[in-house]
Amino acid sequence: MRKVTDGSPSLKRRRFLQGAATTGVAAAAGCLGGDGGSDRVPMDVTEWPPEDLESNLNMWNWYDSWAEYAIDAFGEEFDVEVTNSGYSSADQWYSQLQAGNDEIDNIAATTNWVERSIENDFLHELPVDVMPAWENISDRIKEASSYQQDGSVYGIPEALVLYPLTYNDEYFDSAPDSWGVLWDEEHEGDLCMWDNATVSCQIAALYTGQDPIQPDDYDEIEEVLIQQKPLLQTYWGDYQQGMSLFVNEDVVAGPLTMGRTYTARFQEGAPVHYTAPQEGAMYTSDLFVIPQGAPNPIASLQFTNWASETENAAQLFETMGYQPAVDISDELSEEDAEFTNWPDEWDLVFSETLSDEVRSRYDEIWTAVKAA
Amino acid sequence: MPEPSRSDDGGAAESVDEGTAESVDGRTTESGGELATDGGSVSGVDGRVSGLTTYLRERPRLRTLAIAGPPYGLLVVFFAIPLLAMLVVSFQADQIGGAWTLRNYTDFLTSDTYLTVVWRTFLISVQVTAIVAAVGYALAYSIVRFSRRTTLLLLLVILPFWTSYIIRMYAWINILQSDGVLDSVLNLVGLPALSLLYTDTAVLIGFTYVWLPLAVLPFYASLTNLDGDLIEASKDLGAGPIRTFLSVTLPMTVNGVVTGVVLVFIPTFGSFITPRLLGGTNNVMIGMVIENQFKSAFNWPFGAAIGMVISVVVVALLLLATRLGGGLFGTGGEES
Repeated sequence: MRKVTDGSPSLKRRRFLQGAATTGVAAAAGCLGGDGGSDRVPMDVTEWPPEDLESNLNMWNWYDSWAEYAIDAFGEEFDVEVTNSGYSSADQWYSQLQAGNDEIDNIAATTNWVERSIENDFLHELPVDVMPAWENISDRIKEASSYQQDGSVYGIPEALVLYPLTYNDEYFDSAPDSWGVLWDEEHEGDLCMWDNATVSCQIAALYTGQDPIQPDDYDEIEEVLIQQKPLLQTYWGDYQQGMSLFVNEDVVAGPLTMGRTYTARFQEGAPVHYTAPQEGAMYTSDLFVIPQGAPNPIASLQFTNWASETENAAQLFETMGYQPAVDISDELSEEDAEFTNWPDEWDLVFSETLSDEVRSRYDEIWTAVKAA
Repeated sequence: MPEPSRSDDGGAAESVDEGTAESVDGRTTESGGELATDGGSVSGVDGRVSGLTTYLRERPRLRTLAIAGPPYGLLVVFFAIPLLAMLVVSFQADQIGGAWTLRNYTDFLTSDTYLTVVWRTFLISVQVTAIVAAVGYALAYSIVRFSRRTTLLLLLVILPFWTSYIIRMYAWINILQSDGVLDSVLNLVGLPALSLLYTDTAVLIGFTYVWLPLAVLPFYASLTNLDGDLIEASKDLGAGPIRTFLSVTLPMTVNGVVTGVVLVFIPTFGSFITPRLLGGTNNVMIGMVIENQFKSAFNWPFGAAIGMVISVVVVALLLLATRLGGGLFGTGGEES
């Protein structure tokens, strides 16, 4: 027999309402941008090593294999629980920063997105003067990357990203010395281009002897890209797809990243190598940045320094094939050292952020080329 | 104590009243319009639900609002407002918050390049829709008319949805590439390799595979509702299979056909992954142009303007299809 329990429903209702109100307030606080984490910022660190690291670190790093290494190695060394969210496109994390970050502690970000983030005050300034590993960053990349503003530094270079000409080294007796190989009818049907307006237009600019950052003859760029179309097997739009074209030997030459070329050569056993043609090749950098709202900024700062130590930076190359921003030559095998060697005679052009006008024209040209 | 009334249209609610009134020890109290019994909290909640139901039944407008409000609210918050925001952005120059301008629309609508891309997108979408409609209708018809294991077959039809879109596209790369699965099988039976990857055909195959379930399900639903006696009557009156199909089966299932066609045409029109992964140098679609504006050209207002124009085009086609079909989501053909 059930008992009459006057008041019980009311009590439960009150508890329910209290719970709902608490949940609502908490949700509203979250929506209003409560950071829920440390009150400190990286510039509070004036001596190294920083003390009282937070116990968690949430990073967004698209070098997946290296991130796995970092999760274990950094986590064990500093007793920090590390998680990584791999991503395929920078707009994924950028939109989080736009919405008010309260989750991401550390991002491996490409230079032009770092610039956009700095302009919008999305990043923490970094105390590079007290960070020991700052000295490890090579001067070339320190000077080239645009991650500083008004004397403040907002990122630490992680990797150099070269946009080389990748080729089948069994098909070619020696490395092609010109981008003209991508316009050579002898290789018709065995060539590819990158489905990327900026990269492809800049290759065409280099091929036609123009400045890829500020070209003076857009018509010529469009014209040569249209001329090239019948010679190509396809425009690849995904890194894995681009690498597969070379691994399956569907193509003999085309643009591919250094990292994918490394993976194709040493992990897939494909006969590929890369070069920078005499007209020059573009390169950029990925940087570690700490976004505003990071719940664990000091752990993130420690991680940024740790990742730029030579041993840990070398792991980036050994797992992914990307050139770290620090000198790792002493850490590599002879074969790997040969692969990472960028001869002094290579004319490498840093991929500065394009003006709105150039970027817009490149996009129009690329659409017109594909529609032609 | 009066016996609780019971009506045919309020069975569930009235049953609650009955249960509340007939408490275990026979004691029933009424306070403030709520029934409190030995049932404690359960009966109390039941009583309040009953009261609320009665309250709403007497106020049809409020009842309609309570039922329709949440979904409409969701639509407004997550669809109408973002669409409105996109519309506003599309009239701004270069970046969000830029000066007001019509340039994004004039640049798009006066450009041969972009209109060519739209036209090509339309042609590809029409081809894909036609192929999917033909294959999907045949498949649905065979499931309804000639198979006993309809549940199993329908499960197989929707099975691909359990796998990621991109992974399915990569599977097709492995099948269609030079010396891939398809070429190997053809060579095995003594036929020449086709090397279909990076061709228009590869794009059509990819789209057909991806969208087929979207068409088969409404086709199946409309065919299930088709009265088989009408087909028999047609045959009895001397019509052959083709005439029976054209004069009975197809008209009676036209709503399902239109629904399937719309469900295939719209996503194809906005696609960018399939042509990028399977297509060659000529497979550019308007979805790829829009994607570029947001991810590489950083001209969000221009991308928003293209998106708005394409939305208008698609909605116009949707309305046209609705008029042709006599009702978009009907499954039978009785109204046509």
